[in-house]
Amino acid sequence: MTFWRRLLHAVLSLLVPGLGQAWAGQFRRGFYIFLATFSLAGLTVFTAAQRARFPEQVYGLSFTVFLRLTVLAFLTLGALLLLYSGFSRRVPQDEYTRRMTFLGFLLVVVLVYFPLVGPQLLEVAMPPAGSRQLYGTLLMTMAAVVAGLWWWNIVDAWHVRPDEAQMGWSGLIALTLVGLLILGNWIVEINVPKAIREYRETSRILGDILWPWRAAFDYRASELRATARIQAPCPPGSQPPPVNQPRDDGPWVVVEPTCGQLSTRDDKGRLQYGTLLTIRGGGFVPGKKVKIKWENPIGNEFTPRGVGPTEIEVGPDGTFETQMYIPDVVIPDIAKGPQIHKLHVVQPGALRFTGTLSREMKLALQAMLVSIMMGFMATFVGMVLAVPLSFLAARNLMSTLRVSMQGLLGGVLGLSLGGWLGLQAAHWVSRQMGGLEQAPVAVALTSAVLVGGMALVGFRLMGRAQERLMAHMPAAVRTAIRMVGLAALLAVPGALLGLGYARGILALAWPPEEVAVVEPKLMWAVSGLAAIVGLVIGYRWPESRPVPLGQGIYAVVRLIMNVVRSIEPLIWGLVGVIWVGLGPFAGFIALTLHTIAALGKLYSEAIESIHPGPIEAIQSTGANRLQTIMYAVLPQVLPHFTAYSLYRWDINVRMSTVIGLVGGGGIGFLLIQWIRQVQYQHAGLAVWLIALTVATLDFVSAGIRKRLV
Amino acid sequence: MLKVEHLTKVYDNGTVALRDVSFTVEEGEFLVVIGLSGSGKSTLLRCINRLVEPTEGRIVWNDVDITALDEAGLRRVRREIGFIFQEFNLVERISVLQNVLSGRLGYVNPWWSLMYYFPPEERQRALEALETVGLREKAHVRASDLSGGQKQRVAIARALMQEPKLILADEPVASLDPVLAHSIMGYLERLNREQGVTVICSLHYLDLVQRYATRVIGLREGRLVYEGTREDIRRLSDEEFKRIYGEEAQRLGG
Repeated sequence: MTFWRRLLHAVLSLLVPGLGQAWAGQFRRGFYIFLATFSLAGLTVFTAAQRARFPEQVYGLSFTVFLRLTVLAFLTLGALLLLYSGFSRRVPQDEYTRRMTFLGFLLVVVLVYFPLVGPQLLEVAMPPAGSRQLYGTLLMTMAAVVAGLWWWNIVDAWHVRPDEAQMGWSGLIALTLVGLLILGNWIVEINVPKAIREYRETSRILGDILWPWRAAFDYRASELRATARIQAPCPPGSQPPPVNQPRDDGPWVVVEPTCGQLSTRDDKGRLQYGTLLTIRGGGFVPGKKVKIKWENPIGNEFTPRGVGPTEIEVGPDGTFETQMYIPDVVIPDIAKGPQIHKLHVVQPGALRFTGTLSREMKLALQAMLVSIMMGFMATFVGMVLAVPLSFLAARNLMSTLRVSMQGLLGGVLGLSLGGWLGLQAAHWVSRQMGGLEQAPVAVALTSAVLVGGMALVGFRLMGRAQERLMAHMPAAVRTAIRMVGLAALLAVPGALLGLGYARGILALAWPPEEVAVVEPKLMWAVSGLAAIVGLVIGYRWPESRPVPLGQGIYAVVRLIMNVVRSIEPLIWGLVGVIWVGLGPFAGFIALTLHTIAALGKLYSEAIESIHPGPIEAIQSTGANRLQTIMYAVLPQVLPHFTAYSLYRWDINVRMSTVIGLVGGGGIGFLLIQWIRQVQYQHAGLAVWLIALTVATLDFVSAGIRKRLV
Repeated sequence: MLKVEHLTKVYDNGTVALRDVSFTVEEGEFLVVIGLSGSGKSTLLRCINRLVEPTEGRIVWNDVDITALDEAGLRRVRREIGFIFQEFNLVERISVLQNVLSGRLGYVNPWWSLMYYFPPEERQRALEALETVGLREKAHVRASDLSGGQKQRVAIARALMQEPKLILADEPVASLDPVLAHSIMGYLERLNREQGVTVICSLHYLDLVQRYATRVIGLREGRLVYEGTREDIRRLSDEEFKRIYGEEAQRLGG
């Protein structure tokens, strides 16, 4: 009987007592266990309910809560099962490890399951505060019995002899799915009637977003307008403005008298009317309304309120007549004396299409271009950086990279030495070129090449030198060198570890002064410990045994890539905004970081899936490692690399529209602003542009990829 | 002269592929290795140029201990040992000419070769090698467009570029039909006869063994179980062959 079958029985019985036994073909046994466990559990709840003297309430409550708990249990177990099968791809070979693994798994299940269920079960069983004390003990005992029975049933399921028939997982999956659906519906608060009821409210906004094109163009308003001037108050001793005369060639307005008193407000805010104006006008479009606007001496136009009608129907001959009081206009104290006001009569006409793009549309187009370029740059830079990384993260290439222990020790020394020399050289070169600000790309490139290259050369040279040198030494000296070298090599990360522990972990709980005292001690202690470990390993390390350097590099690069990849570009966007401020550069940084990690993984998987044959063939010709990569690996992976890069470009442009939401520049930035300003039509423009771009790009990249692979 | 001494290979998963195998190959011999699949033939051949690292034992070729070489030394030895694979192992996505040129990687300037540049005389040499195997006109065809027999001939041309003193051939005709098999074996035989290249070749079919081998060794479960000269093989009856080889042995003619 396999481990998995036993596990399945046990898990089934954990979910429903007896189910595992039934699954194994022992239906009667399963049925009995089921009856026993559930009648006891039911009795427990029932007793609690009766004794608490709230039978109905408790029963009702217990049922719904129990249902929820069951669903929760399904969910937990499903997740745990997935986790468990994900973490242990390989079934341990020997019986002991297998048992320990299973026990560990069960422990996790129990630890998660019972704390989740326990308190709520008790809550269900003992609602009123008074009875809690009295029946708590009894109920705990009964619950313990139920738990014990449950546990025994799991153990029984583990040992039960199965039927010979093949089993499937479909039942369990179906159960988990049903549980998930019920729970999901409840958690997400899906409410269809509400969605239908409240759709009406949304339709106008939705319309703006779905068809926003009116906002894409400029319209010129053609309106008819006539103006008259009024002086307030009447100027003592001089003439008020002249009375307008009717015209034939356009709209006109005549106001009489042309001077008078402003309306005012008394202490209670009531309006005290000023001079009554008679307003006559003509030359307007018949049958439509005109609006009366007042312009105060400093040029502010407003619609006067409470002093007479402001919207008047124009007669069939294009004239109208109305009356209104001069409105109350707040005049600052320093502007005493007669002031000139204006009365406008405005008749709005149709908006005329001008054919030019509106300011918002131009902005949106610009921002879209920024987004596309941001995605493109991020993809390109990410691609360039991901290619070398992907070779380091390909298991099939790296697992063959091994060095001897003495080579590694010499190599690390050479690596640090070469890196330091490279850094000095890079500084010198950067000064010659006029510093980072003068020639950023050249300085960055040469620095990277110098530091990386010299470190690698140092590793190679010193590694070889050390190997050659040590070959001629007596064995004792070789061992001594290995011990000292390894101790020194491990002491550095040891010191960092001690420092990290002091600053990162101790500082959480301890006051800073104490941490500062302990910090150096801890650093030296851990460093010393690591050095001792190094001495021991160096002493015990067999001379001929190679160090799997490649596997180490593989693990480290993969780990970093996985961590970077698992952090969403949006969050990298926040980091970018803090780093270099708002704008497309921040978005570029976010997308590039994520792209390097994501493409690195895809690339390395493409490399891992190539045919090993050509590699063997090229190696057989005496080619070195780089030549092998260029001739046997690259031709095989190039189409995949191109396809993945295109795919990533597609993703990046899509992401670049979103990255703006956190301040990363581009169209997302514009979109979120317009949404916040409740300008749904403009937001709709942005949405449309994004959709069009993404669709186009998707179409194009899919086409190119189809041709490549 | 190639001396294999007490060669043992244990793979990481515990499989013992070779157990204490020792034999000697003289200059100019055509040594055929026979044995069932899984008997260690491929491992043996791959150990000789260290595509597979031997666990124990030594391989000495013209007084050079191949098993003790560092990477650079190994590359120098490898470039003089051609290797023919059962599955041809051409790089499918590049041209035939480039595949042939890649046989020269151990000789040319590595930095130039990383940019896919080869000097004109090397290109000329590659064309001549293709001429030898009768595929001159296919030089600029993609390797994936060739038939099986053509691919193996390109692989031979690639090995020719190495100016090999030793050719290791791992079931070179197992993926080909009988007529092609003879043509491929013919190229190997010509190299052996005319240029004195030592050939170590694993084979499946008795009549091919009898036709081409000057000496035969037999492997069974990683052990050396048979060693015979050309005359010994010619005298072998089918029954004896099967005894060494296993029940699945058969003649190419059927």
